[in-house]
Amino acid sequence: MKFQKKRAQTKQEIPTSSMPDIVFMLLLFFMVTTTLREVDVYVQYQLPQAEAIEKIENKRLVSYIWVGKSGRIQLEDAIVKVDEIQPIMYKKRQALPNVIVSLRIDKNSDMGIVTDIQQELRKADARRINYSAMVKE
Amino acid sequence: MPMIKKRGLREAEIPNSSMADIAFLLLLFFLVSTTIDVDTGIGLTLPEYIPPEEQEFAPLSKDRMAAILVNADGEVLLNGEIITIPQIEEKLKPRIEAKINLPKKKKLVVSIKTDRRTPYNIYIQVLDAVKKTYFDVQEEYARATYGKGLDDLNEEELNDIKKNKIPIIISLAEPEVVK
Repeated sequence: MKFQKKRAQTKQEIPTSSMPDIVFMLLLFFMVTTTLREVDVYVQYQLPQAEAIEKIENKRLVSYIWVGKSGRIQLEDAIVKVDEIQPIMYKKRQALPNVIVSLRIDKNSDMGIVTDIQQELRKADARRINYSAMVKE
Repeated sequence: MPMIKKRGLREAEIPNSSMADIAFLLLLFFLVSTTIDVDTGIGLTLPEYIPPEEQEFAPLSKDRMAAILVNADGEVLLNGEIITIPQIEEKLKPRIEAKINLPKKKKLVVSIKTDRRTPYNIYIQVLDAVKKTYFDVQEEYARATYGKGLDDLNEEELNDIKKNKIPIIISLAEPEVVK
């Protein structure tokens, strides 16, 4: 008696015709969620770590101030001096009343410069701030 | 003689076998260029700016006040007592809890004052410890009162806790004029 190997009659192929659709969907997702970095950061900084951390929900309200290791201050896209912060932030605050200022300050900075920036922000009446910090592991 | 145009029987199709490749290439580009940097940090609202000559001294009773001083060496002083940063929680917690049911004018005020040469990192650690204490108290209160965590509360309950029961009042001390 001859045994015949049983074989499935269907085609043994993975249907790939819908692959482009799937890939395009992924692509669209990434395109929509991507926020391309608008500014170049000129200062070097390392954020401190903290536990009681909150997320900023609305990214559009945020404007950034960086303070680097060398003590240079960058406001949005330019390096500024401490006393230039107030007029810029005041204008910003008029355009966007509930602006949140995210302070990305190097963890080895002194409080002196932080206090100076805070005083400028208070004068500009941009009082909602957020000390950027990484999640502590 | 009738001329019959010869038509090829070729099927007119756009070759789409390479579409997946193209799409993958685009996908990879976006995957690589995406920076999902979440903005996380410690939120705070600065006090209103009042020019030094208009500043008034507002007396604050001693039991409302938790004055934290951080010096240039990173040493922490809470109401005149030298402590370490992890101790902040155990010192502040009972005081916050004792004031849950008091009116808003009698809640605890945490004041943080730093030296100009205090490392920023230490300041963040202190602020973090204070915030964490508050969050813990809020969470415990939510569990004790409503039987669920802060995240599961509805808007009204959350507002009651955050505004009336345990508001986070952190005051940054007015910087002294440098001579």
